[in-house]
Amino acid sequence: MRKTKIRFFTIADYEDEELWLRKQHQNGWKLVKMTSPCFYTFEECEPEDVVYRLDFKNGEQTEEYLQMLQDFGWEYFFHLFGWLYFRKPASAAKTEGEEELFSDNTSRVDMAEHVTRTRLIPLMVIFLCCVIPNLINAMNGVMGRLSTFFGFFFGVMFGIYLFMIIYSGIKLNRIRAKYKD
Amino acid sequence: MNGKIKKVYVPMTESAFYILFCLQTPQHGYGISQQVRRLTGGAVTIGAGTMYGTLSKMEKDGLIRFYSEEDKRRLYRITELGREVLETEIKRIERLYKNSKGENIDA
Repeated sequence: MRKTKIRFFTIADYEDEELWLRKQHQNGWKLVKMTSPCFYTFEECEPEDVVYRLDFKNGEQTEEYLQMLQDFGWEYFFHLFGWLYFRKPASAAKTEGEEELFSDNTSRVDMAEHVTRTRLIPLMVIFLCCVIPNLINAMNGVMGRLSTFFGFFFGVMFGIYLFMIIYSGIKLNRIRAKYKD
Repeated sequence: MNGKIKKVYVPMTESAFYILFCLQTPQHGYGISQQVRRLTGGAVTIGAGTMYGTLSKMEKDGLIRFYSEEDKRRLYRITELGREVLETEIKRIERLYKNSKGENIDA
């Protein structure tokens, strides 16, 4: 049996998403796929403690990378917009370190910075170069009869983008600070 | 060794040290992690993401280079520059060790 759950995680929530997916698997639901922005498809399974990990590779993942992850016992089962989803039964990890993709703080900070550079900054560019100019145009009535519609549309976009940028920016900074020596 | 390499790799992280140390013999990422486990009695674990990231960075910086490929697994080995960095690190760690035992280093 399959079911779909709705849950929204921003680009800065990957650690929370990992814990949430682990909890679902403990309850007998394993993730099959995720559809943007917030739909998670699960399949019923035997309840098991399975560690979930996300890595962000932005399309750079090579065969060598996936092979290495597999060598380390990680099952690669899904990717979306540069996010790679891995899982490993907790029983297969002999030490706590084997439950992690990243074993030192340097690489955890690198990951947060990679997400900031390749996801957060483009979001800010779209916000500044597309959402704001269009909102201003719509408010000035430049778009004719459709101005009200576009004004509303870009107003909503403005709110969403502003929230995402501030929230993700603060959270990614917090992740960096947590792991920085 | 130029200033940039020195700044990034001296001192280096524990994982980076073990990876570079192990690559005195050509091997792939998983092989390195197994060797590190044996060397340290399981005290040091290197995660797959950390392993891949460190190997990529070290290859880009010229500390290691591609050696050969076996079933989609890339084997690496240390370069001259890598040896130089490793030697510098070993000397630094020896100094730390001696000082921690109360020995002074003669200039």
